Amino acid sequence: MLQIQQASVFFEGGGGRLVHALDRVSVDIAENSIVVALGASGCGKSTLLNAIAGFMPLSEGAILLDGVPVTRPGADRGVVFQKDALLPWRNVVDNVALGLEYAGIGRRERRERARAILRLVHLADFAEAEPHQLSGGMRQRVGLARALATDPKVLLMDEPFGALDSLTREQMQALLIEIWAKTAKQIFFITHSIEEAILLGTTVLVMSPRPGRVVERRELDYVRRLAGGDTVDAIRAEPGFVRLHEDLRRVLHAGDAAGRLQ
Amino acid sequence: MSVTVSDARVSAPPGPPPRLVRPRHHGLAGRSTWPISLLSIVVLGAAWELVSRYGLVTPLFLPSPGDVGTQLIAVATEGYANATLAEHLAASLGRIVSALLIAAAMAIPLGLAMGLSRWAKGVADPIIEFYWPLPPLAYLPLMIIWLGIGETSKVTLLTLAMFAPICLSAQAGVRGLSAERINAALTLGGTRLQVFRTVVLPGALPDILTGLRIAIGVGWSTLVAAELIAATRGIGFMIMSAAQFLATDVVFVGIGVIAAFAFLFSLGMRLLERWLVPWHGRG
Repeated sequence: MLQIQQASVFFEGGGGRLVHALDRVSVDIAENSIVVALGASGCGKSTLLNAIAGFMPLSEGAILLDGVPVTRPGADRGVVFQKDALLPWRNVVDNVALGLEYAGIGRRERRERARAILRLVHLADFAEAEPHQLSGGMRQRVGLARALATDPKVLLMDEPFGALDSLTREQMQALLIEIWAKTAKQIFFITHSIEEAILLGTTVLVMSPRPGRVVERRELDYVRRLAGGDTVDAIRAEPGFVRLHEDLRRVLHAGDAAGRLQ
Repeated sequence: MSVTVSDARVSAPPGPPPRLVRPRHHGLAGRSTWPISLLSIVVLGAAWELVSRYGLVTPLFLPSPGDVGTQLIAVATEGYANATLAEHLAASLGRIVSALLIAAAMAIPLGLAMGLSRWAKGVADPIIEFYWPLPPLAYLPLMIIWLGIGETSKVTLLTLAMFAPICLSAQAGVRGLSAERINAALTLGGTRLQVFRTVVLPGALPDILTGLRIAIGVGWSTLVAAELIAATRGIGFMIMSAAQFLATDVVFVGIGVIAAFAFLFSLGMRLLERWLVPWHGRG
């Protein structure tokens, strides 16, 4: 269980301007749930993820993982970055095995385990490939496999599919749901796509900028239905989905406009 | 690439082959320049031969290619200034290689430290910034006063000249690391030492190799200056003593040998880069 309690972040922006990036945000991310933070750029969603990852301290509040305060980056919180951040001097399997290497696991065993994870993301045939030989979607799958390899308690995903074309993006969403159904990880996912938020979140937090705060919160079950075999096309055609999409869009725009006026 | 070509051939319509096109290019667009360079060398060589054959320039200023070739064999077999060409060359190479090793052994760790630590940078920066723009000839007298006229002062001069480019490039290599790669390594549970070994060092390696390449070039250009200090052997010394006797053909031999070895070193560095950082510049 990941608990974010009254988290606030202030930092100094360009020209000594005070940025109120996060304003008393409280969220619980329970086992087997996907919490999606949805918002325009500048709404504090990345700041929140960076704080959970341990890249950035909080000004106020606390982040607890199973009751223990988070202070620095660690293998209990795997991160999938917007840009894949793979190491170009290692082939795919050794990139995936990096965290296992840090944990002191022998070469043979860690490569074996990395191969097993690569099967999970359907990249078993590319274990020996170099990162530069892969497409954007494949690189993101390697990034996902690398984050999963150390078996973290929480998976933090920072707009991981934002740079992909829409077709690849849908495939990646399906893959994530498949993996989530198999591993039951707690996932914190950032996106600026309303549809992605609705399809992937068990909880959707709509965030608005200046200061970054949660303005709307919805508990959804589309992702469980997708994991259970429903198709995206069927869900997209439902009136409930369409209405929700409209609602969230309105909240998003209202929040953004309010933020701009301040 | 070859697959595309053969596919195109299979699907090409009957009749004359289609006109192959490529995108309009800016600059060189990766096309090879070596046939042009070869032509340039041939033309230059022919001009040299013609100028000396028809006596347009006195041999004192410009010896003929044939004379230089004869002198090369003479210097290689009988020697010049009490040493054979191989001995001169060995002396010079010994100085350059030992200076390179010493400079690399000190400058790479210091440069990495300067890229990582505020203190290391704060302490070393003023010293390096002060001395590295100086021409080595300017502090050569100091080397002689402090270290005498033996091998030590020559190797020290070369080491100092080579130190700065290696150090500065190692530092640039660390500064150019992507924060995301380091963050990724930290979230995978890497300790500082592990992250240094697996992310920082390989990431800085291309820049370090570039620094070494620059340093070797600086080394060759400082060599003649270093061998001005009462040397009895060395290619630089050979050139200087030939110049005193107006033996222009020996000067040409010396210059040619330096050029050839500088080229070999540069080729070696390029091979080293291809072997150590084959991933550099891709994706």
